[in-house]
Parts: sequence; C-alpha cells; structure tokens
Amino acid sequence: MTASELSIVRPSGRTRGLRLLGVLRQLARRPEGVVGVVILAFFGSLAIAPELFVGPLQTAVTADGPRLSPPTDGFPLGTDELRRNMVNLTVHGARVSMAIGLLATVITVFIGALIGIVSGFVGGRVDAFLMRITDFFLVIPTFVLALILTPIIRELVGSGSQQLFGIRMTLIVIVVVIGITSWSSTARIIRSQTLSLKERAFVDRARVIGAGSGHIMTNHILPNVVNLIVANTVLVFAGAVLTETTLSFVGLGDPFQPSWGQILEAARSVGAPGLGAWWYFAPPGVCIVLVVFAFTLVGAALDDILNPRRRSRR
Amino acid sequence: MGSSFLARRLATAGITILLIVVVNFILFRAMPGSPERVILRGTPNVTQERLEAARERWGLNDPVFPDQFVAFLGATATGDLGFSFVARGQTVSAVLAQRIWPTVILFGLGEVVAIVLGLALGAYSGWRRGGPVDYVGNGVSLVLYSTPYFLLGMVLLLVFATGLGWFPTFGMLTAGATYASFTDRIVDFLAHLALPLATVSLGLVGQYAIVMRSSIIETLSDDYITTARGMGLRDGRILRHHALPNAMLPTVTLIAINLGYVVAGAITVEVVFNWPGLGTLAVEALTARDYPVLQGVFLLLSVSVVLANLLADLVYGVLDPRVRT
Repeated sequence: MTASELSIVRPSGRTRGLRLLGVLRQLARRPEGVVGVVILAFFGSLAIAPELFVGPLQTAVTADGPRLSPPTDGFPLGTDELRRNMVNLTVHGARVSMAIGLLATVITVFIGALIGIVSGFVGGRVDAFLMRITDFFLVIPTFVLALILTPIIRELVGSGSQQLFGIRMTLIVIVVVIGITSWSSTARIIRSQTLSLKERAFVDRARVIGAGSGHIMTNHILPNVVNLIVANTVLVFAGAVLTETTLSFVGLGDPFQPSWGQILEAARSVGAPGLGAWWYFAPPGVCIVLVVFAFTLVGAALDDILNPRRRSRR
Repeated sequence: MGSSFLARRLATAGITILLIVVVNFILFRAMPGSPERVILRGTPNVTQERLEAARERWGLNDPVFPDQFVAFLGATATGDLGFSFVARGQTVSAVLAQRIWPTVILFGLGEVVAIVLGLALGAYSGWRRGGPVDYVGNGVSLVLYSTPYFLLGMVLLLVFATGLGWFPTFGMLTAGATYASFTDRIVDFLAHLALPLATVSLGLVGQYAIVMRSSIIETLSDDYITTARGMGLRDGRILRHHALPNAMLPTVTLIAINLGYVVAGAITVEVVFNWPGLGTLAVEALTARDYPVLQGVFLLLSVSVVLANLLADLVYGVLDPRVRT
C-alpha cells in the first residue's frame, strides 16, 4: 500500500482511475475474487440480454413443451406445469432478479450513505435521532415489516400495468420496500468512518477558508468514504437478491415477470418437492446460490482491499 | 454490573419497542380505505348510521393524536391487538397463541443445535487454520450461508421425504391419526420435526461457524496467547481456557443481532414444511390480507427479537467487564 493510495486529499479523475485499476489488479490476485467476478459476469450477461440467448419469455400461450416433464430432447432442464421451458424461465429470471437487486441496492446504499454521512458529520441531537432510527431498523426483523409494507403500498399506488425501466409497478414496490428496510448497516459503517474523517486536518482547513457543511460533506467526506461504499454495495447486493427471492417465495412476486424466487414459489405451490420434480426448482435455486455466493466472495475480497481498518491490521 | 449500564440498555430496548408500536399505529392508518370501512369489510347493507356508529364505537371521531394513539398504546400493552379479519370473532391474540408453540419449539431447538455445532466447527477450523477441516468447513459454511433456507428445505424434502421416504412431507402431526399412547404421539411429532429442524440448523450453522472461526483467529494473535504458549501450556488447555472464552464474546452479540434476519428464514421454512407456526400464519394472513394478524405477528416477533438482544447485552455485560461503563 503506497502513500498515494492512502491519500486523504480529494483525488483527481486520473488518480481515481489509477486507484480503480489498482483495486482490480489486487482483486485479480485473489482466487476467490476471480471466481466471484467470473460468475457475476456470466449472470450479468444473461440479465442484460436474455432474448439473445433463449428468445422472448414464454407464456402459457406460447409454451409448447410437455407438461411438467423431466429433462428431455429440446428441454435440457425440463418444463413447468404450464409447458414452459425451464431454460427460458431461468434465464429470464436472471434479468428480473438482478434488476430488482441492482435497483434496491442503489436505493439502500443511497439512504445509508446519506444518513451515515449527515449523522456522523453533524453530530449532536441530529446524530442521536438518526442513530435511534438506524438501531431500530438494525434490530427489528425488517423482513416482516417488508411483508406488511409491500401489500399496503401496492394498494396505495394501485397495481395497474404501468412500468418503470421496463419493470412492472408491483416489482418497483418491492424495490422501494427493500430499499427502505435494509439501509441500516450501511449507515452505521459510513457514520463511523465519517466520525474519524471529520477530525482530520483537511476538514478544518476547508472550514477555515469558509466552506459550508454541505460543501465539506459532498466534496471532502464523500470522496473519502467511496471505498467503503463500494465494498459495502457488493454485500448489500447479495442481501437484496436474497430478500427479493424470499419476498417472492411467500407470494409477493409478479407471475408476469418471474424472478428466481417467483419460480421457486410456483414450484412449491405445484408441490414440486413432493412430486419429485427436482428440475422445477433446481435451476433457479442453483442460480440464486451461485449469485449470492459470488457476491459474498467479491464483497469479502473488496472489503479486505478497500476497508481502511482492515488494511491497517495487515 | 453498573446500574447506569443496566438503565441505558433497558431504556434503549424500551424506546425500540415503543417505535415498533408507533410503526404499527401508522401502518393501520396508512391502509387504503377509511378504518371504519376496513372494520366493517364484508358486512352487508352498511348504512350511514352503521358507519357512524362504528366510528363512535372504535373511537375514530377522537383526534388521532394524542387520543387515538394513547388508546392504541394502552390496548397493545394489555395484549388487545384487535380482531382477525378472516377468523371472524377471534382476537388476534388468540390466533397468535395457537401458533406460538410450534415456532418456539422449532426455532429454539434449531438455534441450540446450530450454536453448538457452529461454534465447535468454527473453533476447530480457526484453531487448525488451513487444515482439511478448515478448508472443507469454510467452503460448506459459505455455500450454506448463500442458500435461502426454504431452498435447503425443498432439497431436504425432495431427498429424504419424497425420495427415500424416511420422513413425512408436511405438518406437525399426521392428519387424522389417532394415537394408542402418548409415546406414539411423540414419535410421530419427532418424525415431522426432523426435516424442518435440520433445515433451520443447517441454515444457521454456516454463519455461526464463519463468525466463530474469524473470532478465534483474531484471538490467537493476541499477546496473552503468546504468553500462555511461552509458559509451556498444552495446546488443548490454551484453546479451552484462554482462547475460547474470549472468542465467544463477539459471537454472542452476532447471534443476537442476526436474530432479526433469522426470522425471515423461519417464516419460509415453516411454509415449505407446512409447519403450523407463526411463519405460516404470517403468510396465510398475507395471502388473505388479514392485516391485524400480520401486524400482530410483526409486533410479537419484533418484541421477541428486541428482548433477546437485551438479554444478550446483559449476558455480555456479565461476561466482559469492559463494557459495563
């Protein structure tokens, strides 16, 4: 670790690019990081262009396979009870699961970083108040809260066929609910880093030349917690994919845009485990485990590389 | 233990529980449709007079704050959570009471098994770092950690119930069965319990092992371990008397903090095995949009998790004198 990489001045675009390159190089040196990135690249490409690999999503009308059949010619992963090809379903499930995961992660990290920085920097009563709320979300079973919030918000916004970013409103509601229930640990991490940053000399210097709090937070604190935010984002993504899967599994998914969790829910309600229909839940199941596993690997590797606390211990 | 430490922890838990009740209060008012219509849902021939009577009867003509809120707070404190929409005439408390024991048994036992196995596996892997147990154990732990509980449950169900036929596929007791003796009943119950219990334990064991392993590794680099080694103590003694007690501390906190997440897994495992606990109740209530029951489940589970965290904090305070300030 060179001194320039640890620098606490505001990095220019060029040094930031170099730093990113350095991080990637360090990631490539770790076998678990490489495995994680390869898995994520694979599922990422499936999610970006599912039509390219398997054509449009099959519906009960366009499906042409046998009914709930084990793998046969032309249907390498079998079919579901609506005669749909499991390959088609699983690949399209990748898009829904990853898109919801990504959007929910953006919201989660945004709320978490905002509350963390403001709470840590402003301090005093604001800090005490925001941390009370953070602790509340940290302790309570947020999943059960999400279980209640989702149907209520859906009834409030109405569940028509409107779409946002090509995602149906029902799923946008899930994105928002995951976002507002899972930001607490991010806020905690960012706050503790902000607390130590605001005691540094460069914050005092900025204040002396007349910078306001808002300016210091966006231009001096934020660039220095970006590392932490990135490392945390990867772990939040894994959590978001898992939460979406679980919410869909208990019946809050959208059958018109099936995610992996939604497919698993369909498999359960058809009674696939009892019928021995392993091909119905094995493909989405394996995909979920691989994606979460890969995110955990990359997240742990990035945390080691980017987290200043861990770095100092080495 | 210092009284200020105790007072602060109690105050924190109290505020959190108050916030939970506030959230419940807001949620009921955020629901679409006015409260009196929600209450009279399904009642035929609702006249203006009946609506007005319902408003008066349920105190909806009073100001929302403080009157309605205080009434709500009082009702919650005395265990009056309202009536279920679906099970007409049954209070939410009664509905919850029927479902609480299956969950307590399943998750109490699951936690115990997972804590014992996870801590043992984690401690051994960390102690013999880089050895075969560490290598395999760490890999398995990571995969288990990435697997949703219900998926694990579906796989176990497929293999051991449908495939091998060793265990029944659903429920807590065989439907409609009559038992010759109490022992038969217990045997039937245990056969039904086996797979859900295995699912819960396996789902939890990975994260506990991971936490314990890193905690042991951190502890082993501390000076007092080097000192103990320098004094010529045996390996086993160092592990049991010096490393383990200290490495357990962070694990206690993590187990308590993780409880909130475990609840999500709990719900889905019960759904997979049709285990008649609070999890299946929550999903039934969700499907039927039975909000009072859903909120009751939220209240009950949240307060339990907060109290468990309080307990863990106090235990931690007893174990580690440094935090008692």
